[in-house]
Amino acid sequence: MKKLPVFCPSCESNLLVSELSCSSCDTVISGKFDLPQILQLSAEDQEFVLQFVLNSGSLKKMAIQMNISYPTMRNKLDDIITSLQANSNS
Amino acid sequence: MKTVLFNPFKKYQENYLFILGLAATLLGSYLGYFFNVRYDGVLDVHFANNTTSWQPALDNLSNIAVLTILLLALGMYMNRKTRFIDILNITLISRIPFYLIPFFNVGGTMERINSEFLNTLLSEQIPDFSTLPLNSVLTLGIFALISLLFIIWSISLLFNGFKIATNAKSTVHIILFFTSIIIAEILSKLLITNLINS
Repeated sequence: MKKLPVFCPSCESNLLVSELSCSSCDTVISGKFDLPQILQLSAEDQEFVLQFVLNSGSLKKMAIQMNISYPTMRNKLDDIITSLQANSNS
Repeated sequence: MKTVLFNPFKKYQENYLFILGLAATLLGSYLGYFFNVRYDGVLDVHFANNTTSWQPALDNLSNIAVLTILLLALGMYMNRKTRFIDILNITLISRIPFYLIPFFNVGGTMERINSEFLNTLLSEQIPDFSTLPLNSVLTLGIFALISLLFIIWSISLLFNGFKIATNAKSTVHIILFFTSIIIAEILSKLLITNLINS
């Protein structure tokens, strides 16, 4: 799967979506749309959020599943919250 | 292996760490009694004469209590989500390197060498260490080096564990952590000297 770039490789600013297309009828929509906040996270963080939802928000369950300790898991979540807050403020 | 030795808190669940830490504390206390060793401070181990069965256990209890209370207070100040069990586990596990030191005193070897050094040091105005047997000097040198490595190992465990338990990252947090360790050392030393030894 191709990785979705979220930062400009030139100036490192957040990228915008400027075109969307329908794969069925080739309709193209142009404009400037912000990327959803979740998509602005790294692929690893997005996977974490996905697993968090799939595990009904149980960090304990996730920790056992991923074979790491609960505080390590909670720190990961805290770091994601911090980066989401930083993205929403920027 | 590096994670297991220096940062088990990253991987292992709290129940496992607690049982391991508790078992190590009980075993360490027994070894202290068996090999005549006192854990008379958070970062201290000394060889003694005729250690009673309760002295090393009370030493450990004081050290664990002082360190846990101080680190928990600091952890809560840094991050409200810090849990008591994580700090307790860090304290229990970080003391494991100290529980290996009693093995150096098999047959009272280190206690005897310490006494030889102290006698030489106190017997004359200018101590003549050349009168000491070479074996004793070498043993003491090796012991000093290994003890230093064990202290570094113990502090690494404390530091790595504390970083995980509190998600501490800033330099100020690290400075506060080391300040707390120094305060814990002073408090535990005072507690053991004044309450357990009196």
